[in-house]
Amino acid sequence: MTAQTTLQQAMPHQAPPHQAPPHQAMIDEWYPVGLVSQLDRSGRHTALMGEPIVVSGDDAGNPLVTGGNGRILPVKVRYGHVWSSLGTPTKDIFSIPEADQPGRRFVDVGVVRVRCSPLRAVENFLDIAHFPFVHTDVLGAEPHTEVQNYTAEIRADVDEVWATQVKFYQPQASKSASGGITTEYMYRVPAPTCSVLYKTCPPRPSEWDVITLFVQPLAEDLCDVWPWMALFDDETSMTDLIHFQQMIFLQDRSILENQIPRLLPLDPGMEIPTRADLTSIAYRRWLKRHDYTYGAQLVAR
Amino acid sequence: MTILGDLGAASFLPWIRRHADRLGLAQTVSHADDERIELELDGPEELIDMMEVGCLLGPIDVWVETIGREPLAVQTS
Ligand SMILES: [Fe+2]
Repeated sequence: MTAQTTLQQAMPHQAPPHQAPPHQAMIDEWYPVGLVSQLDRSGRHTALMGEPIVVSGDDAGNPLVTGGNGRILPVKVRYGHVWSSLGTPTKDIFSIPEADQPGRRFVDVGVVRVRCSPLRAVENFLDIAHFPFVHTDVLGAEPHTEVQNYTAEIRADVDEVWATQVKFYQPQASKSASGGITTEYMYRVPAPTCSVLYKTCPPRPSEWDVITLFVQPLAEDLCDVWPWMALFDDETSMTDLIHFQQMIFLQDRSILENQIPRLLPLDPGMEIPTRADLTSIAYRRWLKRHDYTYGAQLVAR
Repeated sequence: MTILGDLGAASFLPWIRRHADRLGLAQTVSHADDERIELELDGPEELIDMMEVGCLLGPIDVWVETIGREPLAVQTS
């Protein structure tokens, strides 16, 4: 959707030479590297954690991902996307049960390139306090800026971050919403650069709309963001659904590209986090617990 | 405030002091070992909330498992 920078332009910001953290834990994870619907033989020339990769499809539509020296990388297809890894994943890609639910529409939103840490992109997605200020009159509005108390935790049984009972007044919560409503959210982080958002579904009060953020780490401070949705909405056109979500993410991009420091601090350092930041704190605690440090700044500066 | 976790790193007590100072909270460490720190804080509830949230993350070489809070027994009638 946005003008793609070439790989040469995109890659100068690799890990700074003064630090050589192991990053093995993140190397062994799955990452989105392209849309299944866009696979072709010439391939998408992109990168994963600083390594140039090519994502292509054969005539039968089977995906193939090759690394820098031509080595074949692991590959899976899930949620409209091709997933790969530079290492040896020990787990399958996290499950989203709603992806198998009949009646939902699946929306490949496309790609947004953001010059920020992949972890920052996820952290921003988890932050509801920014709605009224960044997505003004869409996902939030003044004076409804207060974040009500909610729960954020690392769930030991599934080893995921969950935030629940997140409630927020929204002038236009989704493409299908007409007028303002109090929307309830749940957030889930099942992988270091992926988040799943569950959101009140106006046409079906008993179900949740699913909006995901799959982030491909190109470098420690550069990423491709692949939003994907599984919605109950039979009325809005696919184009409108995609445009609505792209508009939201473009608003986020301008914020993300100006954040300082660029890497996500795992020590609060100079910040004074508050109760409204509990999801970010839980996410960063979880990253720290697992040594998911690619794109993170370990010591406050 | 009772902080439990892997707290052995020498960085943590000075970190706690700095963070509390930044919030303007009066503080006394009444106990500190590798697994437990007892911290007495005096100040507005909201600022003590912020202290708790900050300590949950803490410095990189410290792992805070849980934080418990109880009011200090200062008010008797
Ligand atoms: Fe946003």
